[in-house]
Amino acid sequence: MNSVVGPILRMGDQIEEVIAAIRDDNPDQDIEVVDRGSYVRIQGHDRIRVTQNTLRGYLGADYEIRSFGTMMSSFVGRVVNNSDEIVWENIKRTASPEGVLAHD
Amino acid sequence: MTLLKREEWQGFVRDVDWTPTYVDYEAIYPEWHCGTGKVPREAWQGWEESYKVSYPEYVATQREKESSTYAVKAALQRSNTFQDLDEGWKSATKMHFGGVALVEYAAVIGELKMARFGLNGSWRNMATFGQLDEMRHAQITTFFGHEFVGQDAQYDWTQKTFHTNDWVPIALRNLFDGMMVAPNVVDLAIELPFTFETGFTNLQFIALSADALESGDVNFANMISSIQTDEARHSQQGGPTMEILVEHDPVRAQWVIDKSFWGSARAFAALTGPAMDYYTPLEHRKQSYREFMEEWIIDQYIHTIEDYGLKKPWYWDEFITGLDTWHHGLHMGLWYWRPTVWWRPKAGVSKDERAWLASKYPNWENVYGDKWDVMIDQVNANNVAATLPETLPWLCSTCHLPCCNATPSRNGEWKVRTWQLDYDGKKYHFCTNACRQIFWKDRDNVNHETLIDRFLAGQIQPMDVGGILNYMGMTPDAMGDDPDYGAWTRDYIGRAVEGIAAATVQGATQ
Repeated sequence: MNSVVGPILRMGDQIEEVIAAIRDDNPDQDIEVVDRGSYVRIQGHDRIRVTQNTLRGYLGADYEIRSFGTMMSSFVGRVVNNSDEIVWENIKRTASPEGVLAHD
Repeated sequence: MTLLKREEWQGFVRDVDWTPTYVDYEAIYPEWHCGTGKVPREAWQGWEESYKVSYPEYVATQREKESSTYAVKAALQRSNTFQDLDEGWKSATKMHFGGVALVEYAAVIGELKMARFGLNGSWRNMATFGQLDEMRHAQITTFFGHEFVGQDAQYDWTQKTFHTNDWVPIALRNLFDGMMVAPNVVDLAIELPFTFETGFTNLQFIALSADALESGDVNFANMISSIQTDEARHSQQGGPTMEILVEHDPVRAQWVIDKSFWGSARAFAALTGPAMDYYTPLEHRKQSYREFMEEWIIDQYIHTIEDYGLKKPWYWDEFITGLDTWHHGLHMGLWYWRPTVWWRPKAGVSKDERAWLASKYPNWENVYGDKWDVMIDQVNANNVAATLPETLPWLCSTCHLPCCNATPSRNGEWKVRTWQLDYDGKKYHFCTNACRQIFWKDRDNVNHETLIDRFLAGQIQPMDVGGILNYMGMTPDAMGDDPDYGAWTRDYIGRAVEGIAAATVQGATQ
């Protein structure tokens, strides 16, 4: 399906926590997980997000969202980030300009 | 002390596109490097990546990546993991080390070119991180391969490959120099970050890591998937470039995609296809090459280019058909011309392996089974010499890979044929129709001598197998051979032999 978006994480010991954080941050989405061993696809539809606050709840109070870059070996869609959250959204845009996060 | 958030200062410090007064703008940003073409120069002011990073963040994150990758390497160094790996899998890693280490270095040059000539400060900033990434990849790949040189001389080709005139690096240099070194930076951003790094490297660095981990090569899986986390970031130079180019010159955008996609697809059929479908031990294969291509290229990458407003390339049907043939033909060629490669190609056609191949590629037995049967019967007749090459394969004048693609005839027979072109007093041969079309459209750029052209011109002396191997830089300690002939032939011992091998077998039993 064309509207699938989300990160692809490499092998590591924080995958389950990240999946839980993404599920918490996207309560209206059915987050799908495709596990291929050395990589795991985490995917929702159209737009999903994860916040530093939620990640800290699972990975420790000192977790920096920039460290997400050590896990994410690829992604589907367009990734937009700032100091508080990462968003994966459709590449095709309807409204918001490049680089601006459409906050809920 | 409270630090400002990145988004509160990054836009300001990155805006270095002031108006020069001491020199002409064209002198700083010459068109032949910047490649703006039909795109108005001011349009590049809108270039902005959506996945942002600052230098402090970059350094801290890269340090974490390096620490964890080298920690795994150090932990495994004192184990027997390497000795226990299957020879087929080791060959997959030798292909990777030799085929990739110095391509990463070419990518440093490509990123540096964008860091200098990209027509926007944000782009040049991203490319500066990109060249640091590629430097890391060149170093880590060379270093990880070097660890095994003392145990197996073929790993020496990690560094050696691209310094030789072996036919494989000639093909790869032709592709990657054309993609990373020669183009202007706009074409480069579409070819390297957008097509190669958003599409095909996922196949070699993430999909292959699944097979690596299953095969027990934790170190290799860890290294390649760590490399790809850098690619995921700096490949984001492709999207904003694509958006601007599509808006002003969609024909050019489509052509650059079409050309680089095809070249990448041919190279990966040779590099990744045999590794996934033949070299990885059967019990450790996560998916077939075709299935990985469907997941990463057809489902993911093609949706991406369509979302940017482009179409599937014009040769799409030929590409899809090739998913069932290209890498099988190339595998057979790599095995047959095994003295010319720096790994030990495993034939991988035991009964169980053939059943798996037939389940993934329903036409496999029909097209390839009888050819392998000849090899099997020759080996079982103790006549391995009959399975070794005495001639050279014809190489395609675009991709420089052997013309070895089987296509169906009207009578149902599958035959290997070439696509020919008479041009400038010479007859050229191509492995596929699209290689022929790309040559014609881009003949002033992609027109380079293949190894066969060099041979026929007398550049390789003496004109025999020894002379050719010497020209390729191949030495006896690194020369490829099948790691275990018995592994794929013992299932067939004692069966009735027909066809070409029959004469040999009768001779052997008399």
